[in-house]
Amino acid sequence: MKWFSNFGLQRRNRELQEEIDAHLQMAIADRVERGEAEETARQAAAREFGNVLLVQDVTRQMWGGGWFEQLGRDVRYALRQLRKSPGFTITATAMLAVAICANSTVFSWIDGTMLRPIPGARDTDDLVSLQRGERNFSPTPPFSYLDYRDLREQNHTFTGILAYHHDWITLTGGAQPERVYIANVSANYFDVLGIKPMLGRFFLSEEETRPAIPSVVLSYSLWKTRYAEDSAIVGKSIEIARHPVTVIGVAPKGVVGAMPGIREDLWVTLDPLGTDEWRMTHRSGAAVWLNVIGRLRPGVSRGQAAQDLDTLMHNIVAAYPNDHLGANQITLDPMWRSPFGANGYMAATLPVLLAFAALVLLLTCANVATLTLVRFVSRRRELAIRQSLGANRIQLVWQMVLEGMVLSIVAGAVALVLTSWTSKTFAWFFPANSNPVILNGSMDDKVVVGIAVSSLLAGMLCGALPAWRSSHAPAIEVLKAESASISGGSRNRKLLSGLVVAQIALSLPLLICSGLFLRTLRNLASANPGFEQDHILTASVGLNIVGYSHDEVQVIRHKILDRVSALPGVKVASFTDWIPMTLSHKGEDAYPEGYVPHPHESLQVYHAEVSPRYFESLHIPILEGREFTPDDDEKAPRVLIVDQTAARRYWPGQDPLGKNLRIWGRRFTVVGVARNSTHMLVNESPEPMVYMSFFQQGYETIVQVETEGNPVDLAPAVENAIHEIDTRLPVFDVRPMRESTQMASSFAVIQSALAGMFALIGLVLAVTGIYGVVAYRTQMRTHEIGVRMALGASRVDVLRLVLSQGVWLTGVGLALGLAFALGLTRLIARLLYGIGANDPVTVASVVTLLGAMSLLACYLPAHRAMRRNPVTAIREL
Amino acid sequence: MNEKDQYKNRIELLQGTLDMLILQTLQWGPQHGYGIVQALRLQTGDVLQVETGSLYPALHRLERQGWVQSEWKQSESKQKARYYRITAKGKKQLARDLGRWERIVEAIGAVMYVKPKESES
Repeated sequence: MKWFSNFGLQRRNRELQEEIDAHLQMAIADRVERGEAEETARQAAAREFGNVLLVQDVTRQMWGGGWFEQLGRDVRYALRQLRKSPGFTITATAMLAVAICANSTVFSWIDGTMLRPIPGARDTDDLVSLQRGERNFSPTPPFSYLDYRDLREQNHTFTGILAYHHDWITLTGGAQPERVYIANVSANYFDVLGIKPMLGRFFLSEEETRPAIPSVVLSYSLWKTRYAEDSAIVGKSIEIARHPVTVIGVAPKGVVGAMPGIREDLWVTLDPLGTDEWRMTHRSGAAVWLNVIGRLRPGVSRGQAAQDLDTLMHNIVAAYPNDHLGANQITLDPMWRSPFGANGYMAATLPVLLAFAALVLLLTCANVATLTLVRFVSRRRELAIRQSLGANRIQLVWQMVLEGMVLSIVAGAVALVLTSWTSKTFAWFFPANSNPVILNGSMDDKVVVGIAVSSLLAGMLCGALPAWRSSHAPAIEVLKAESASISGGSRNRKLLSGLVVAQIALSLPLLICSGLFLRTLRNLASANPGFEQDHILTASVGLNIVGYSHDEVQVIRHKILDRVSALPGVKVASFTDWIPMTLSHKGEDAYPEGYVPHPHESLQVYHAEVSPRYFESLHIPILEGREFTPDDDEKAPRVLIVDQTAARRYWPGQDPLGKNLRIWGRRFTVVGVARNSTHMLVNESPEPMVYMSFFQQGYETIVQVETEGNPVDLAPAVENAIHEIDTRLPVFDVRPMRESTQMASSFAVIQSALAGMFALIGLVLAVTGIYGVVAYRTQMRTHEIGVRMALGASRVDVLRLVLSQGVWLTGVGLALGLAFALGLTRLIARLLYGIGANDPVTVASVVTLLGAMSLLACYLPAHRAMRRNPVTAIREL
Repeated sequence: MNEKDQYKNRIELLQGTLDMLILQTLQWGPQHGYGIVQALRLQTGDVLQVETGSLYPALHRLERQGWVQSEWKQSESKQKARYYRITAKGKKQLARDLGRWERIVEAIGAVMYVKPKESES
């Protein structure tokens, strides 16, 4: 009781005591005045007053403020009741904890990714991601610097618009070059994000295009790991790709840049060395390289801002039509679903999983409600007695709801502890890859509030519904009734049946969805991407990011090819600067000569730069024309190999060989047609792809080796061969192709893993639910069954009697569940591959599985009833 | 049934009536619990004896309902006591109670004073 006493209560108690004392004193004084002896007067006054303690007690009840005290009493009563049935308490708490944890885990993932798109930034709700042209998934950077600057300076709807370009580079100057992720950013980058420097300063607006000295801002983690938290780092010079640059500031802890889910280690201005003038002064081709994010002015809606920018873009297109062929309309996305970075994928996956988790919670509530109801039915005598002693119905319902709440609060606390661990498991789903993915769940106040809300709701659902029904029972009848008729009454029977039906109806869609996801995953894994994934090893060489001259780079490349080809176990060695199915791609606007685009047609094509024998090593057949040869170098005319999609789109019914395409204003001639292969995701819609000759256009250097045996075994040899040329050559991401391409199915893995887990929980809950109810009812009917058997009913009759109700419930549940599932699968149709949302095989097998499990659950109690000895059964009342 | 419940029941029976009597007594000025008991005894010629077990719960309930207010003051005999004072809200309540009481008296009177030949008993 100590917890519930408070200062106010103590004061009131004291005052009441004083008030009564005063009363007695005055009574004694009056009596003494009338001539009574002091002692007699005292006794008479006390007698007249009555029982002081009782008067105090009754008076206290009038205060009403004792609700807190009252609650304490009720909670202790609830705890006592729960302690009486530990089996129920533990089962219900565990089930609720798991279900709440399922919800909070998915929510923590949403919280850590979609709801925290840019860690460290202020008011990310006001930030929007700009996209130009056709809306698509994982697009390439959409703006040139000049277009961006025009939009930034002429708009009326933004407080600021920033631009950045994400890339990687090496930190040199140490013993070994180190790969870091870098962003070229507009000078207002940190300003628009609302981030203040931890040390030094950020960029000034005059530094945006051509800074006086090349300067760099470090991330907190780089400053900590590489520069040992040097507090005097500002003003010092460090070496990036062999160029000295000056550190001007350090970003605060946790800031990782503006691309959701991707880490940046350092930031430089758009043209830090003043060597990229071309890119800063053109509006098309390779000058389209910036991702753009704007901060809306207060009170401006996304639609208004989009309209404003569209008008500006229209003017830009009118002024520079040749730089803006194709589609140019502007779309704005909130950061939680920004197509740049990871959130586009998150927004497509996680909300669906949260909906599944919510289903699981609902299902669990139905299950716990069933248990509670059964428990209340057996507690009807207790309830009836309390009712006849004056407790009203609201009080009884409140007491039972309170028991549900106590359960769910404990479950919520358990879920909280579990979630602090499960929230961090999100990162497990992303295999090591060349992107600095930093996705993970976060456990903050939003998650805690979520857990509190869901556990309270669950508590209400579990407690209130059964309580309301049970409390209907008229006290007199219950008290009069013999135990044999305490089988629940028809009202409770209906509610129990309803709950069982609900559990089956809720678990069926979960099972169907997880079945569809699992088959999608299998289809993805077995799908032929159109290129060889086994026996391929890739290794990135940081050639162009360590500061070699152009000629040196060409020499080193040839040396690498020679040395790696000569390694034993290597079948074919080639170069590429892109690996398919790693969720990254490069795109450019291409202008096919002689092709008239439809209005607003996007002219963007995917492109990759590949060396001779690339197609051979990946087993991609060249259908027409030829492969690249070593002669397709910088001196030779520029050539292209297109895939079937590009050939069909731009030259339908014609021979694509010899046709020309303009990219970056340069003219390329088609020399071959390659068979279509997967670029990003197995279930993508095919986009036109053009391959360029590595020795003409190659930028990043990735060695691609076809091996005889297991590619992993060759990794050290390949790395050594490269280091033999120059030990300072950074080699990264040496891994088998199979491993790299796993990235493309990681979201399918997340979906099927979680949906599978949720469906399993659903199945167990539904089956135990129906078992519990049928077993309970059969037990209640033991006496009746005994009488029936004594009167000549056969065992089969008994079996039929018990089974029929289970079958009936299962049937109704399956029918409702099927209707529900058909609605729900439409939501996930987008996420499926190689299988329809209403795939009859999946639906049929899931219905069979659930039906069979339910029947088994009904059969067990029926079997037990059938084998009872009728004589003992009758005796059992 | 224990003593406590007896008290509670009596309050319920008297409820309304006791409230009305207390409020009426307080019409004459602020008074403490003992004073209220004495006043009621004097006025009814010892017919109505208000139990302390009913009075104090009633006073505290009236205070919660805002019909009376209390404060600690010194009595004439230098005894520190809690004085209750009727509020404007309490006066309205008293008027309502009185109206109801008059109707009840009238109704009961109509039953009790019927001519003997019309009565079946």
